[in-house]
Amino acid sequence: MDTETTLAPKEGITRRDVLKGLGATLGLAAYAKALAPLTEWKPAESVDEFLQKHYKELSPVDLNIVLRRLEKDTKDNHGVDVNITDVKAQSGVKFGYALNLSICIGCRKCAEACHQENNHDRPSNQSYIRVLEMSKGSIDMEKGNAHYDHPVPQPDKFYMPVQCQQCDNPPCVSVCPVEATWKEPDGIVVVDYNWCIGCRYCQAACPYHARRFNWTKPEIPAKETNPEQNYLSNRIRPQGVMEKCTFCLHRTRNGRLPACLEACPTGARVFGNLLDPKSEIRWVLENKRVFVLKEDLGTKPQFFYFFDE
Amino acid sequence: MEPKLSNRPIARWVAAALGVSAVASAAWFAWAADSNTIPQAGIPASTNAIAGKLFPVTIRPTAGTPKVNTGLTNHHGQPVLASCSSCHATTKPNIDTHSTAELDQFHQGLNYAHGNLACLSCHNAKNYDTLQLATGKPVEFANVMTLCAQCHGTTMRDYQRGSHGGMNGYWDLTKGPRTRNNCVNCHDPHAPKYPQARPVFPPRDRISVQKNNGTKGEH
Amino acid sequence: MNSSSTTTLTSKPGSSSKLDHWRAYPRFLSRVVWQAFDGNWLFYVWMILLTAVFLVGANAWAVQVRDGMGLTSMSDHVSWGLYIANFTFLVGLAAGGVMMVIPAYLYHDEEMHDVVIVGELLAVAAIIMALCFVVADLGRPDRFWHLLPGLGRFNFPLSMLTWDVIVLNGYLLINLHICGYLLYMRFLGRKPNPKWYVPMVFLSIIWAVSIHTVTAFLYCGLGGRPFWNTALLAPRFLASAFVSGPAFIILAIGILQRFLGTSFGVGPIRTLANIMRVTILINLLMVGSEVFVEFYTGGTHTSAAQYLYFGLHGKNELVPWIWSSVGMTIIAALLLLSPKVFTHGWMLTLACVLAFCGIWIEKGMGLIIPGFIPSVLHEIVEYRPSLLEWKISTGIWALGFMIYTVALKVTLNVFRKPSSQAGASPLAGR
Repeated sequence: MDTETTLAPKEGITRRDVLKGLGATLGLAAYAKALAPLTEWKPAESVDEFLQKHYKELSPVDLNIVLRRLEKDTKDNHGVDVNITDVKAQSGVKFGYALNLSICIGCRKCAEACHQENNHDRPSNQSYIRVLEMSKGSIDMEKGNAHYDHPVPQPDKFYMPVQCQQCDNPPCVSVCPVEATWKEPDGIVVVDYNWCIGCRYCQAACPYHARRFNWTKPEIPAKETNPEQNYLSNRIRPQGVMEKCTFCLHRTRNGRLPACLEACPTGARVFGNLLDPKSEIRWVLENKRVFVLKEDLGTKPQFFYFFDE
Repeated sequence: MEPKLSNRPIARWVAAALGVSAVASAAWFAWAADSNTIPQAGIPASTNAIAGKLFPVTIRPTAGTPKVNTGLTNHHGQPVLASCSSCHATTKPNIDTHSTAELDQFHQGLNYAHGNLACLSCHNAKNYDTLQLATGKPVEFANVMTLCAQCHGTTMRDYQRGSHGGMNGYWDLTKGPRTRNNCVNCHDPHAPKYPQARPVFPPRDRISVQKNNGTKGEH
Repeated sequence: MNSSSTTTLTSKPGSSSKLDHWRAYPRFLSRVVWQAFDGNWLFYVWMILLTAVFLVGANAWAVQVRDGMGLTSMSDHVSWGLYIANFTFLVGLAAGGVMMVIPAYLYHDEEMHDVVIVGELLAVAAIIMALCFVVADLGRPDRFWHLLPGLGRFNFPLSMLTWDVIVLNGYLLINLHICGYLLYMRFLGRKPNPKWYVPMVFLSIIWAVSIHTVTAFLYCGLGGRPFWNTALLAPRFLASAFVSGPAFIILAIGILQRFLGTSFGVGPIRTLANIMRVTILINLLMVGSEVFVEFYTGGTHTSAAQYLYFGLHGKNELVPWIWSSVGMTIIAALLLLSPKVFTHGWMLTLACVLAFCGIWIEKGMGLIIPGFIPSVLHEIVEYRPSLLEWKISTGIWALGFMIYTVALKVTLNVFRKPSSQAGASPLAGR
C-alpha cells in the first residue's frame, strides 16, 4: 500500500500549485471560448416553447395559446403576418392519391407548387415531390433520373413523381423514439415540429425518400410566404427538425384539393376520400390497373400509380 | 466458490430475473402496440352534405364559335369579324381535303396533325358555324367536348371520373365548387398532341449538385 | 491507488456503519477528481494535448448547433454520416471491452483479473463516447428531455432507438457500478463483497451482447434499406466487436507496460490474442458470406454492395476505404495466426492496429454510408465528411481518451508523481 503523502500539511504554496492554478484558469477560459457559439443559439423563442407539450397532449385552450405564440414568433422572425390554424381529421374520411403515369409529362409544376404552398426553404429548392424520369418498359428506379433538363415529355420515357405515400403501415412512425410522428385517423402521417429531436431515424427508415430534414434555418422572403398555415403542415419549420408531405392537410381537411394537384397541367393527379364509394379516387382504384411502389415491403402505401393503356 | 455454475444461487436468481423481465416486456409490447393510434373525435360531416347540397363543377368555356378577323375596321374603329359561313357560302366543300397543304387560299399555315381525319370529318359543310358528329348531327362550337368524346370515349370517361384533365377547387363538393378544363384548353383540335414543355424547378440537392452535374440522364 | 486514507476511517474491516459512507464517499470522489489533475509531466502533456483537441471539437459542435447541421456533408440522401459511423463502432468497442470479464469470472483466471479493469474502463469510456456521438448527431439536442419517460414520450417498445437508449445507459451504469464499487472498496481498504458486484458482472456480460445486438437491430430492422436488412447484421456486429475490443486492450496493455511501468502477466495477452485469432476469422467469414449473397444473385438490391466494393455508375468514393479494410483485416488475421506473434512483439502490435482500423472502417464508412447509397429512390449522392464533422469526431475521441486516461490513472496508479512509490498490482488481494 502506498504511503499517503498529500494529506500531510503543505509548506506554503508550491510552484506546482501556481502552475496548476494558472492551468485551471486558462483551461476554463478556453472552455468558455470554445463553447461561445452556443450563447448565440436560441433553440426556443421562449421558455414556453421549450417546455411545450406534445401536440396530442395539448388541450384546445393550450393549443390556441401555442398557435398565437407561433404567429407572433413568425412575425418577429420572418416579418410576415400569418394565420396558423389547427384542423382535426374528419370522421368518415381517409385520403388517397393516385397518379396517372400515362399523362404525367414531368414538368415538375407539382414540385414547384409544393415548394410555394408549404413555405419551403428557398435556397435549397426544397420540395416534398421528386419527379423521376423513367425508361419505358421498366419501373426499375435504378434507371430513373431526377435531374433531367430537356423538353418533356421525351418519347421513350415516362415520368413518376414520388412523394410521401402516407403508408398504412408506416416504418417512419414505428422508429421515432419520441413519437413526434404519427398517423392521423384520416390517413395522413404528420410530424409535430415542436417535438421532433432531429435524430433522423425516420429518414433512414422511409423507403420512399419522403422525409426532409431542416439542415439549416429555412429562409423565405416575407412576400413569398404562404400566410395560410397549419400547425401540423405548412407553417415555417424551425432548424433541426424533420418534415414531410402532409397531402396539404391545411387545404384537404377543409375540402380543397392539394396544391400539387391544382398545379398539374395535364390532370395526372387524382385525390379524394377512399371511404366515399362515389369519389374519383375510388373509381380509379376500381377501374384502372393500379400498383404501388415497393409493395413487397408491406408498408401499404396510400399513393397509387396507374397507366391508362 | 467451487460448486458448478448452475448450482450457484446467483445463477438461479439471474435466470429468474431474466424470465420475469421477458414475460413483462412481452406483456408491455402487446399493450403498447396500440398506443400509437389515439382515437380522435372527428368533425361531423358538413351540414351541406347532410342536406345533400353539392357545389357546382364548372367547365371552363371555350372561345365559342370562331370568327375571322378580316383586317378591316368599321367606322367606329373596331375590327370587322366575319363568320365562317360568310366565306364558305361561296366555296364548294371538298370532303377529300385532308390537310391545309391541299388548300391554295386561306387557312395557310394552319398546323394540322390530327390523324387521318379530313377537315369535314369534324367541320359541318352544311353550316360552317357549327361542327358535326359522325351522324351529321350539328354540334355548337361551345359544346366541342361532345365531338371529342365521340372518338375519344375512354378519355372522356376518364375525364368525367376525374382521372384526366385536372381540376381546381375542392375535392369535397359539399364544401366548395370545382372548375374543370375544357378539352380544347389543353389540346389544340387541329394538333391535339400535348405540347412539350420545359421542366421547371429542378431539384437542387445539398452537396450533390456539383457531383451530379454532367450526369444528366445517367444514374 | 495513491490514496489510502484508511487511518481516518473505520479501522475494522467488515463493519459497515452508514455514517462512514456519508463522509467517506465524498472523500473518495474528491480523491478521484484530485487524481485527474495531478501527475507527472507526461500526464500533463498528454492531457493538455487531448484537451486542446477536445476544445476544437467542442467549439465545432457549438457552431453546428447554432448554424445547423447544414455545415456537415450530410444530406436528405445520406442522412447519417461520420457521427453514427463512430457511434456504431464504439458500441462494439464497449461490448468487446467486456470480453475480458468472461475468462476472469467464469474460469477464475487470476491473471486475467488484473487486466479486467482495463477492459471495463474501456467499456465505460467507449459508451460515454458513443452517447456523445448520438448527441452530436441530434438536430435538436436541446429537446433531449423529450426522450425521458414520464416527462417526454418514450416510444418503447416499438422504436429500436428507445431500446438502444435503455441498454446503452444501463450498460454504462452497470460498468460504472462495478468499477466504482471495487475502487471504493480499495479506497476504504476493505475486501469487496462479492454479492455487490459479481451478479452485476454476469449481467454486464449478457448486457454487452445486448448493446450490440440492439444497435444492429436499429439498422437491420429497416426494410427499406436492403444493404442493412439482413439477419447476419447482429452476429456480424458481435464478431467485429470481439475483434476491436481485445485489439484495443492488447494495445493499451502494451502502452501501459512499456511506457508507464505497470506490469501484467503474459497470460492475459495470450488469451486475448487467442480470442482474436478466432473472432477475426469469424468476422472475415461473415463478410465473405455477405459478399457472396449480394453478388451471386445480383439485381437492384445489391447496388449498395456494388457501389461499396466496385463503384456504381462512375461513383466510387468508398471503394478504397472498403478494400483497405478488407486488406487490413486479412493481414491482421494472417499475423495473428502465425505462432511467431507471441515472440515478436511488433507483429502483435501491428496486427492489433490493423485489426482495429480495419474494423473501424468496416463498421463505420463501410456499413453506415453504403446503407444510404444508392438512396431509396436509387439515386447516388455521395458523402465525404466535412471538416466540421472530423473536428467534432476527433474531439469526442479526445474526450474518450481523457476519460480512459484518468480512469486508468486512478485505478492502476499510472502517471504517478515521482515521489510516490511504485504501485503494486491494483487488484491484488481481491
